[in-house]
Amino acid sequence: MSGHLPQTNYLDPELLQRLGDLELVAREVVEGLRVGSHRSPLRGLSTEFAHHRQYAPGDALRTIDWRVYGRTDRYYTKLYEAETNFDCHLLIDASSSMNYASGKVSKLEYAKFLAASLAYVVLKQRDSVGLSVFDSEVRTYLPPRSAMGIILEIDRSLRDIKPTPKTSLAKQLHDIALMMKRRSVVVVISDLLSDVDDILAGLDHLHFDGHSVVVLHTLDPYELKFPFAGTWRFEGLEGEEPLTTQPQRIREDYLKNLTEYMDSLRAGCVAAHIDYLTVDTSRPLDVVLSEFFNERQSTLAGPSVGAR
Amino acid sequence: MTFLNPLLLLGVLGIGLPILAHLINRQRIKRTDWAAMQFLDRSVRVRSRQLRLRDLILLLMRCLAVLLLVLALARPATNSADVSWMPGEERAGVIIALDASFSMQHSDGKATRFERAIEKARIISEHIQPGDPVSLVLLGGEHRVVLRNVAYNAHRFAEVLSEQQAAAEPLDLDSVPKRLEALVQDMDALQKEVYIVTDTQAHDWGRLSSPFQDALRVLGQEASVFLVPVVGSDENLAVTGMDLVSGALRKGSIARYRATVHNYGKSPVSGVEVRCRVEGVQIDSRQIPLIPPGSSETVSLFVPFYNAGPARITAEISGDALATDNVRRAVAEVRDRVSVLCVDGSTGDAGRLIRSALLARADGAEDEDFVVQSVQWPDFPAGDLGQIDVVILADVPEITQEQASQLSRYVRQGNGLVWFAGDTVKASKWNELSGEGDNALLPASLGMVVDASDNLGVGKPLDPSMPDHTVCRPLLSLPEDLLSETRFLKRLQVEPADTSFLVMSLAGSHSPILLEHSLGRGHVFMFTTSAHTTWNNMAQTPVFPMLMQQIVTYLTGREFEQPRIVGDSLTLSYAKQPDAIDAVFDTPSKQTITVPVRQHRNGYVALLEKSREAGFYVARVSVQSPGMPIAVNVITQESDVACVTTAALLESLEGTGITVSATAADLSADINTARTGRSFWRFFMLAGLAVLVIESLFADRILARNQSRRDQASPLPQHGEVA
Repeated sequence: MSGHLPQTNYLDPELLQRLGDLELVAREVVEGLRVGSHRSPLRGLSTEFAHHRQYAPGDALRTIDWRVYGRTDRYYTKLYEAETNFDCHLLIDASSSMNYASGKVSKLEYAKFLAASLAYVVLKQRDSVGLSVFDSEVRTYLPPRSAMGIILEIDRSLRDIKPTPKTSLAKQLHDIALMMKRRSVVVVISDLLSDVDDILAGLDHLHFDGHSVVVLHTLDPYELKFPFAGTWRFEGLEGEEPLTTQPQRIREDYLKNLTEYMDSLRAGCVAAHIDYLTVDTSRPLDVVLSEFFNERQSTLAGPSVGAR
Repeated sequence: MTFLNPLLLLGVLGIGLPILAHLINRQRIKRTDWAAMQFLDRSVRVRSRQLRLRDLILLLMRCLAVLLLVLALARPATNSADVSWMPGEERAGVIIALDASFSMQHSDGKATRFERAIEKARIISEHIQPGDPVSLVLLGGEHRVVLRNVAYNAHRFAEVLSEQQAAAEPLDLDSVPKRLEALVQDMDALQKEVYIVTDTQAHDWGRLSSPFQDALRVLGQEASVFLVPVVGSDENLAVTGMDLVSGALRKGSIARYRATVHNYGKSPVSGVEVRCRVEGVQIDSRQIPLIPPGSSETVSLFVPFYNAGPARITAEISGDALATDNVRRAVAEVRDRVSVLCVDGSTGDAGRLIRSALLARADGAEDEDFVVQSVQWPDFPAGDLGQIDVVILADVPEITQEQASQLSRYVRQGNGLVWFAGDTVKASKWNELSGEGDNALLPASLGMVVDASDNLGVGKPLDPSMPDHTVCRPLLSLPEDLLSETRFLKRLQVEPADTSFLVMSLAGSHSPILLEHSLGRGHVFMFTTSAHTTWNNMAQTPVFPMLMQQIVTYLTGREFEQPRIVGDSLTLSYAKQPDAIDAVFDTPSKQTITVPVRQHRNGYVALLEKSREAGFYVARVSVQSPGMPIAVNVITQESDVACVTTAALLESLEGTGITVSATAADLSADINTARTGRSFWRFFMLAGLAVLVIESLFADRILARNQSRRDQASPLPQHGEVA
């Protein structure tokens, strides 16, 4: 189902699937990308001077710039900009619904590639990467670290898991938020096929805990376009009641529901200052990542919303 | 309810097609796991169920449309009143049989019976629905189907009706039910109606035979049969006969014809003038003072022949209600001269007596154009006999094989031979050379001479066995005692052939005296007695000259001089194969009919199978050849135009189930009462088409709505369809 993809693109998801080695996949995806430096969300602990601020009671005395005091007889403290110690936590949804694939690559596999590629990028910057895998429960939680082995952990965790239907996304996100000690960039990779309010409640929790939340809404192209013809029987991956119908005749209703859902989700994310991106699993990973990083850099000041 | 095209009901199986398509579509369900089930929510499921319901409705409508169309094509109809609530049409297949015999030309002064029959047919046609099958048949000697099972069109039917005319033929009533039954069986209609419009002549309808009534009953079981009488007065005069009585058909001579006029009415008719015309020119006229009802009167008409060749002779009356039978026709082939060769083989004077008889004239004058050549047997000419019209062999002992062949050929060419027995005749030789069967020269094989005298030694008198034979006819005008004076003492015992017939015999014994048979185009007369006075006293009485001259007149006549009756075949015979392959017959109405010449026995014949008109036909061997007229007369039986009364008719038809509609009002009322057949094909057809249209609109509406929704609510770029 990737006929529309360029045939010469060696990074299309199906080719990557055949590579097998996730680190190799991540390297293939990331190498060549122009990776920009990340600004630390924590200021004051770095050695790089940012600007002065008038001393206020409670400030550490070692931050007072004595040279400025000598010239002006006033106390100013020096503020520095931290350049590292950036934690990125990857949250991968491994519920049953993520196993859907209209082509050869399921959403879960695509999410795996996506997570590995992001981890590779982060680790290359000497930053730390943490990993959480969840379905109806949190199956795996790995605190952030800066070793490449985390990429192998992603593969292992996802291979071992037996997907179960997710019940409440908010609960898992709450649980994961409680596990995370430091504020970090949280990347949620999920199809988010759940109640919108439930999803937003979970994301809000992360956001209120001070995390910078990025949602990569991963959907199959068939889920986005519903291009079925003839008579089909749809059997839910998460135990829903099956439906036999002629999809082309109910396509409008389906797309209408999808649109309403995505609009609500997008609006909720904007309201909560959460970056939101729709990821079509038929698109090449490098293109998606490149566009993601460019967008992220240009919207560093605030949350961004986009479709990839 | 019945179906006129029941086989088309097999089309109901066509309902299976939409059902099959529906089931196949349902069977080809593809299965897939699906994650985004939350978007296939309740509303989508409801809509999906609605779609299934619509599909089911469309399927039902298609099935219903197929069913209705199939029913319409099968042409449903019923006679039952139980379904009178259904919007059907009163339909019936109608067969109108018009009596077109010539009695229908009888006029009451305003209109002929046939014209009134046409008017009745128009009344019937007013009750026929456009498109209903209708047949029109003219009844006569041979029933002619003018329209067969055509879809009724009022204008066209009226046109066809106005073109019809009565023919000069009689009505063959016995064959009518069978003919109509065949037409009924040939017609596809729920209700079939047969209308017989006739003048109900008493001689036909007065005494209906049991087989005829049975046939009507059978017809009545297959169709509603209506008898529509168009009656008129009984008065009619007809010339029922005109025959040559005496005289020679020779240039310069006068022949006597006898015309018979019959009064078929119930009132005496006085002062009936009978006119005789030759080639259209009136040459004689006779007045009949009074003809009582039901009686015939005859008048003699004397016809002088001034020119040689065929002469058309008519006897006519006028001022009658039925003109067709007011004329009787005859044709005379008038010769320039007649040549007779008398071959005498006797030692006595038989030949002389025969010659004297042939030349005897009432006024004693000699007739230059009537030549009788007399030779003795040994001098029988061996060459061509082409100049001789009649050869008489009197007491010739024997003939050679060559002479037998020569005489046979001579007769076959259309000439005459008269054979007399005698003392010297060698029967065995004649039997040997005369031949057998159809090719025999003589009409009988010869036996021994037997005594024909009675106990008193007086011979037996003569008895004309065929009084209507041209040869016998003048003898009947003789006083009875004069005829009985002719006595026969001896005769030759003979064994008549199957092809011969007895013309005269001995009174009281049926022993043949004069036999006749045809050979080719000619005739042979055979006397089993001699002209010699030792055998009889015939030559001493007036009978002999009358008989001999009449025989010569008869033998020198031509076959087409014999009048024919309408319906008879007309033939033109050839001795040799003609150059032209076709002969031509001109009808009295100046139409030309070409008939192929076919070989028949030893000759060639052109046969016109049926003469349909009364009048003079003209037969030609080719278009350029001079014509030979043939008189064709109407059959006299049809001239009795008396009709049966309605009461008598009802009595005759009792138990046959036939409705008699005497008046126009009765006819309309009877039709309305009897017509209960209702056809529903149009209703079913319209209903089927309506369902198809509704189904089409319904389907289009669904498609249009879907397209509209697609156009309005497409949040993402369209994706190509997946097979």
